[in-house]
Amino acid sequence: MKLASAIVALVVLLAGALWWVGQVAPESPIEVGNARVRLVPGGGPMAGYMEIRNHSEDVIRLVGATSPAFGNVMIHRTIVSDGRARMEHQSDGVQILPGDSAVFKPRDLHLMLMQPRGALEVGDQVEIMLRFEGIAPAEWPVAFTVVPVTSQ
Amino acid sequence: MVITGVLALLLAGCADEGWHGKNITGLMQELEFTLTDENGNTVTEEVFAGRPVAMYFGFTHCPDICPTTLARLAAASRRLPESVREDLQLAFVSVDPARDGPAQLGEYTGAFSDRMLGLTGTRKQLQALTRRYRITYGYDEPDANGDYEVSHSSAIFVFDAELEPRLMLLDSLEVPQMVEDLNRLLGSP
Ligand SMILES: [Cu+2]
Repeated sequence: MKLASAIVALVVLLAGALWWVGQVAPESPIEVGNARVRLVPGGGPMAGYMEIRNHSEDVIRLVGATSPAFGNVMIHRTIVSDGRARMEHQSDGVQILPGDSAVFKPRDLHLMLMQPRGALEVGDQVEIMLRFEGIAPAEWPVAFTVVPVTSQ
Repeated sequence: MVITGVLALLLAGCADEGWHGKNITGLMQELEFTLTDENGNTVTEEVFAGRPVAMYFGFTHCPDICPTTLARLAAASRRLPESVREDLQLAFVSVDPARDGPAQLGEYTGAFSDRMLGLTGTRKQLQALTRRYRITYGYDEPDANGDYEVSHSSAIFVFDAELEPRLMLLDSLEVPQMVEDLNRLLGSP
C-alpha cells in the first residue's frame, strides 16, 4: 500500500514536471512568416517568398529545400545590373545571424520552385521542407499559401 | 553563351527631364519585326494597328522578376485614363522560343491582362528585333535536369502610335511612376 501510493505520488510529480517543462519550453529557434508561392500558369517554375527569423543564439544557414509539389527546389537571388536581369543560384545557402532575419521577396531572394507536379490554385497550401544548418532539427516543414501571379 | 552589348551607356547618358523612366525619343529605330503570336499566327508590327505599345522581353521560366514587372505594367495600364488605357497595347516577347510555344505564352500573358499579346520567334527573328533596341539576352548551360537560366533586359520599351521608341520604363519603377510616365507620353495634352 505504501509502495502504491509512492508510485502514484511519483507519477503525479513526473506529470507535473512534464507539464511545467511544456509550459516554459523555449520559443521555436526559427519562425517563418508570410510564406507564399506565386502562381505562374503554364507549367513553368514558380517563386516562393517568406521571411525567416532566427530567434536562436547561433548563426544558422538555409541550405536547401524540397517539396512534394515540385520536382526540384533551388535558392535563387535575382540580380539586376546594367539593365540586365539574371537569377543567381545561392550555392552556399543563405546565412541568418542570431536575432536577424532573411527576407525572400520579389526581385530578390526566392525559392525557385521547378517542375510543378500538379495544377495549383490560388488559396492552396503547399508544403515546403526547409533544410538548415546550425539548428536541430535540421528540417522544418512550412505551409506556403498559393497567391496570384500578380501579387507583389 | 552571352550576347554582349549592355545598356549602360544609354542608362548613364540620358538626363531624365522629369521622366521616371528614360526618354529614348530619337535614339533608336522604329518598331519592326516578324514573330509568331500566342495564337500561332505570324505577325508583324502591324498587329498593333497604329496604336502605342509597351513591350517587355523575358521568358515564362522566369518566375521572379518577369511576373513582378508584368504585373506592375498591367496594374499601371489599368490606372490610366480610359482613352489612354483603351489605346495602349501590352506585349510580352519571349526570348526563349525552345520552351515558350504559343499555348504556353497565351496562358502566361492572360494571367496579367487580356490586353497583353504574347510573341516569340526563331532565334534569328528575335535577334533582328532585339538588336534594334540593343536588348541583350543569353542562355546558361542546362543543368542535370535540363533546366537553364536566361538573362535578359529588364526594362519595358514604350513605342508611340507611330511605333517610334519613346520611353524605357526600368523594372525598378513602381506602379504610380509608370502611370505618370505613360500618361505624360500618351495622354492628350
Ligand atoms: Cu529563380
